[in-house]
Amino acid sequence: MADLKPALVSLLRAAYPHPSFPDAPYERTADTILGQLDEDLWHRLALEHGLANLDTEALADPHSEAASAYLRSIEDAEFFAFVRGVTVVTLYNDHEVWDLLGYEGASYDKGGYVERGFDDLDWLPDPRIEEYDGPDALQPVADADQPTAKA
Amino acid sequence: MSTSQFGTPIENDTEAVVVVGSGAGGGTVAYELTRRGVPCVVLEAGAWLKPEDYENDEWAAFNQMAWLDQRTTSGSWRVSRDFPNLPAWIVKAVGGSTTHWSGATPRFHEHEFKTRTYYGDVEGANLLDWPITLAEMEPYYDKAEIAMGSTHRHGRPPLPANNNYKVFANGAEKVGYKYYATGPYATNAEPYDGRPASIQDGFNFQGDKSTAKWSTAVREIPRAVESGKCDLRTQCQAVQVTHDAQGRANAVLYVDSEGTLHRQAASVVCVAGNSIESPRLLLMSASGLHPDGLANSSGQVGRNYMRHLTASAYARFDRDVRMYRGETMAGIIADEARLDTSRGFVGGYYMETLSLGVPFLAAFVDPGTWGREFTEVMDAYARTAGMWIVGEDMPQESNRVTLNAGVLDPFGLPAPDVHFDDHPNDVAMREHAWGRADLLYESVGADATHRTPPYPSTHNLGTCRMSERPEDGVVGRYGEAHDVPGLFVSDGSQMTTGASANPTLTIVALAIRQAEHIADRLGKGEL
Repeated sequence: MADLKPALVSLLRAAYPHPSFPDAPYERTADTILGQLDEDLWHRLALEHGLANLDTEALADPHSEAASAYLRSIEDAEFFAFVRGVTVVTLYNDHEVWDLLGYEGASYDKGGYVERGFDDLDWLPDPRIEEYDGPDALQPVADADQPTAKA
Repeated sequence: MSTSQFGTPIENDTEAVVVVGSGAGGGTVAYELTRRGVPCVVLEAGAWLKPEDYENDEWAAFNQMAWLDQRTTSGSWRVSRDFPNLPAWIVKAVGGSTTHWSGATPRFHEHEFKTRTYYGDVEGANLLDWPITLAEMEPYYDKAEIAMGSTHRHGRPPLPANNNYKVFANGAEKVGYKYYATGPYATNAEPYDGRPASIQDGFNFQGDKSTAKWSTAVREIPRAVESGKCDLRTQCQAVQVTHDAQGRANAVLYVDSEGTLHRQAASVVCVAGNSIESPRLLLMSASGLHPDGLANSSGQVGRNYMRHLTASAYARFDRDVRMYRGETMAGIIADEARLDTSRGFVGGYYMETLSLGVPFLAAFVDPGTWGREFTEVMDAYARTAGMWIVGEDMPQESNRVTLNAGVLDPFGLPAPDVHFDDHPNDVAMREHAWGRADLLYESVGADATHRTPPYPSTHNLGTCRMSERPEDGVVGRYGEAHDVPGLFVSDGSQMTTGASANPTLTIVALAIRQAEHIADRLGKGEL
């Protein structure tokens, strides 16, 4: 079997283009996708054939309009749909990607975020946290919508 | 894991109150009955996950606790396209979906118990007034808020403002909303009822490891099990409710994790399997006396399936928000949760802060999208604020849960199919809500707002609805089936209409009221 990984990585880079991402998270996602091929003959057939015929030249610059146009032209292909289905739950579950996007994940073992910035946003004033206690009580039904008003 | 027994064993041929499900409805009924000395057998389809078992990782937790048994979908709703086998995002574990709920506890408004009267004849909607009123529910709302420790209520302090709330509340103020606050939420801002204050660790949807958030898994079920009156059997799925020659409910058949069928004799049956499994159980309990499904002389079992309006809005800013730090939900705006048809629809909606981690935002922000349009949203993750929109959707007879005999579950039983089409009123309300969310976030400087469609349903309601007359619904004013003495529905499926409020508080209040009623009648020998 030809090495499908280089073509798959170039497909992933163009379909999920993040300027700040190195190759490593895409490569790990490609490994996950290829690791699932033994479970499902249909996906194996579709993916092997799809990747073997992929126009990798069109994907050479993953951020180009050419790459985007090419991917739109194959959007409905089974192998590409399968790749997207796995990628969206794999690439974004990669802890290096979390770091790149600024997501810190679990905090319970660190005492939560209560001392670690849960309220550190400082570009807006501190808002009221209590319920409104001014003179205007919420009117649950507009006057015009009272059943007596319609009768 | 396999079937386990907790608490005080009750013989299978001893008639007890048999409670199907241990979530907001079932867990509360079991606790309220056992503390009055009434023996209960609780049948829970899932395992008992403890706080130390919960995973603070979105996909790991999803795979640990979500109800992933085979289901099918039909209808024009987008969930059927994006998640064809996941109509609902609910929990299969002790505590049911209180394990992963966010904790918001608004009450219904008075007019929301009388939608047929207030909304009139809305074409295509099967509206009906509840047989009970807000005045009757108020004492039970009080009891439920005290049980659950709602902030801003009964002396409980508010949660502090987290980053997501700061954006949300400043936007609310800028656009002229008044009725915003960090609650009411059933998450402790200070220690209460033996549980600690929030450490702002998030992951409410994954079970709350700290137990600052109320659930029946950390309050009602452990107390019931310790009462000496409760026999909790986990990984036991009810598959049929039977009746005697007089038509009274008399037993529940259930399957354990080995696939073995058992029969538990019952004096009373309380069905609380959430609004897909509860009607499925009644439909699987058809008999000669009830050929269309147990308690279904009205034909309404499984119909009027509601899932709340729901939508989300995620706004991108040029500075950090870090919405994931702190409680997943801890902010609510009530200004739009009112009836004002000048907006172009009946019913109302709440806006509530919501945060998803990177894994779930990627999966749910706009399912199926890819390319730069999608990665721009993800690249802005740390600068993103989010809200959920929850509003009243219209009950429609054609939105329904049925048995799909062509698809079987692992026991060989027909899988439930969930059919749903949006009502035009739902569509109009969602568009209005997205528009208001845009204005709110733009008022505090958002660069862009993304309109996120409904997630698989977390608020599943209405499929065994409460009605005054037997021909209009399945159960009466205490949740007892019109057709079957001794059979009660104890979960959100008994809701006649869904109101704009998150449903858990009302499910708990109804369950406290129902348990009081059952205990009273058992005491008088009437059940």
